[in-house]
Amino acid sequence: MTTTQTPAVPVPATTAPPGKRPKRQREGAAWVFLSPWVLGATVLTLLPMAVSLYLSFTDYDLFNAPRWVGLRNYTQMFTEDPRYWRSVTTTLTYVVIAVPLQLALALVVALALKNMRRGKGFYRSAFYAPSLLGASMSIALVWRALFNDGGTVDHLTGSGGWINKPGWALLAVALLTVWQFGAPMVIFLAGLQQIPAELYEAAAVDGAGKWRQFVSVTVPMLSPVLFFNLVLQTIQAFQVFTPAFAVSAGKGGPADSTLVYTLYLYDRGFVASHMGYASAMAWVLLIVIGAVTAVLFRTSRSWVFYASEGDR
Amino acid sequence: MPGHRTKGFCASAAALALCAVLAGCGGSGESAGGGKVVLRYTWWGNPDRAARTEQAVALFEKEHPNVRVQTSFSGYDAYKQKLAIQATGGDAPDVMQLDYRQIDQYASGHVLLDLGKVEDTLHTDEIDTGLLATGRVNGRQYAIPQGRGTETVVYDTKAWKDSGVPLPGKSWTWSQWADAMRELAEKTGRPGSVDPGQSEDAFEVWLRGQGKALYTKDNRLGFTADDLTKWWTFTDRLRREGVVSPAEQTTQLDGSVENTPLGRGKATADFNWDAPSSGYLALVPTGVTLAPMPSGQDGTPGQYFKPSMFLGIGAHTSHPEQAAALVDFLLNDDQAAKILGATRGIPVNETIRKQTASELKDFDKTVSDFQSSLEGTLKDPPQAPPSGDNALQTTFQRDYDQVSYERMSPREAAENYVTEAKAELRS
Repeated sequence: MTTTQTPAVPVPATTAPPGKRPKRQREGAAWVFLSPWVLGATVLTLLPMAVSLYLSFTDYDLFNAPRWVGLRNYTQMFTEDPRYWRSVTTTLTYVVIAVPLQLALALVVALALKNMRRGKGFYRSAFYAPSLLGASMSIALVWRALFNDGGTVDHLTGSGGWINKPGWALLAVALLTVWQFGAPMVIFLAGLQQIPAELYEAAAVDGAGKWRQFVSVTVPMLSPVLFFNLVLQTIQAFQVFTPAFAVSAGKGGPADSTLVYTLYLYDRGFVASHMGYASAMAWVLLIVIGAVTAVLFRTSRSWVFYASEGDR
Repeated sequence: MPGHRTKGFCASAAALALCAVLAGCGGSGESAGGGKVVLRYTWWGNPDRAARTEQAVALFEKEHPNVRVQTSFSGYDAYKQKLAIQATGGDAPDVMQLDYRQIDQYASGHVLLDLGKVEDTLHTDEIDTGLLATGRVNGRQYAIPQGRGTETVVYDTKAWKDSGVPLPGKSWTWSQWADAMRELAEKTGRPGSVDPGQSEDAFEVWLRGQGKALYTKDNRLGFTADDLTKWWTFTDRLRREGVVSPAEQTTQLDGSVENTPLGRGKATADFNWDAPSSGYLALVPTGVTLAPMPSGQDGTPGQYFKPSMFLGIGAHTSHPEQAAALVDFLLNDDQAAKILGATRGIPVNETIRKQTASELKDFDKTVSDFQSSLEGTLKDPPQAPPSGDNALQTTFQRDYDQVSYERMSPREAAENYVTEAKAELRS
């Protein structure tokens, strides 16, 4: 690298000292710094989204030019594709299992770590580690080996291979996600440390026990953080792909029991080469996630407590 | 909203990301080549085929010092998925092994090079014209068949003999097969065979035994939901009796011998193609035997000789001449033929086939003998399957999963399949 030797961008220091640059120049600098993001957002997000919207109205096999079919992809999805509806049910089941379990686990561990005096740093890192590892394909493959018949779980519990039983396979996938509770845990920890100690002292003086303190102080004070985690994890759960793909070896089996929405989308787009159909599926998912998030925001008014409002 | 943006464009973005990753891999490979021409050659197969292919490729590299060949292989299911993504991303390998099902789609999708452009390097004059024509689409040669194969009932020789059940003869019907499997299950205490219900290939053999076909001449479905219901009712009953493998075993099939019930020691017999059955030898050390596929009730044979696989060249390869030289070497070179034996089926080069027939040994001889025992008894192969069949093969397995896990009746699943197949073939 030779760039280190070249002097920094020449600054017209004599006429305009850094603090008093004209507004337009300041905006120019902002754009320069923003450009990687702007470029990325346009080329990698907005443009593909626009193309995908167009493709969702076409029959496109990735090899030949897209052919306009109007709403056929959408009508086929809703009226003629039983597997599509199975994937919807599977995804909803997954969201309902994985999100609460993961948030509960994250909260419990965060509470345990909050009051820990020694080895805090070590345990925090240890509990966060799965989130760093879990995204990798190798862990998903380890998971597959753990829950296969003749695998560790089979040996320990005698329950057979989970991933070969339609009723159990999705649970194995969900557990892989739940295990990666590091990110919400760290956010919970930060939230817990924001709660003023005097609230607990006051509650203790009033005779509140540990449980009462948790319900009446911790939960309301933590509710904005809980809400944030809930929204984030729900959105992520709707988009779950890697664990389901790896645990079912890409097939969403057995008997479609782990065929989550994005896995079916991938299957339609890249395995069956119906990219138009897959694009239509992606847009329906976007709208559904948007709607679910809107509903969550609406309900939040009744249970999320912001300290600033409380002052009024 | 964080996370939102990742959804709407996920299809295209995934393609982009994959391209970037794959391009990255290719790039690093080329720099490692040290100025040499680097070819990527991919195939599916078992470890035995891999070892022999590596040997043949090493010989090619010795004869062409300026070429380096990067090889990679996997099981059939994984290979099919990976190649589909590479092909759609415009990053198909320079030389690739192809299934009959992929030729039509990839040729008309401009993934494959018109081999007429490299005919000076790639010689096909010693290949039977009828066989060669299976790699033609719209009058152009896009792929060269690499071997001739046929399906087989492959069984653990020792286990079957020890059970005392009479061994299969030169031909048998599906009901004789079912009776033998039932007896085997009783004597050995484990399923006689893999459940053939999940296999579109086995279904095709059964269907042809009744004079029908998977597809009509104009690429429409050649059978009805009634036919499929009959087939699935037949296999479902055997599964319930414990005669064929349970759903938990069947669902693990992925095209590799390691995950078959026979390979895992959970059944006595299996259905497979003849050449890849060499893979069982590592798993069933006492040896396996090849028996013919069951025929229709009146003795009509369902199995047929088909090109077991093809070699094609990527349309966007930067080294068409070298790629053609590699294909030519794998098909027409004496030394390569000796190394490869019958690992991809019986060789297609007539001269080589005649020369090597007497030299074949071990399992290669088994495959060769098996094919000669069938010679003259089989009917003509069907025409190349339509593009949609590539996806339908997977759909078939999925719909049968619903039957074997008892979530649907054979009738319901069959009707689902027929609906899905019609939609697939229409588009």
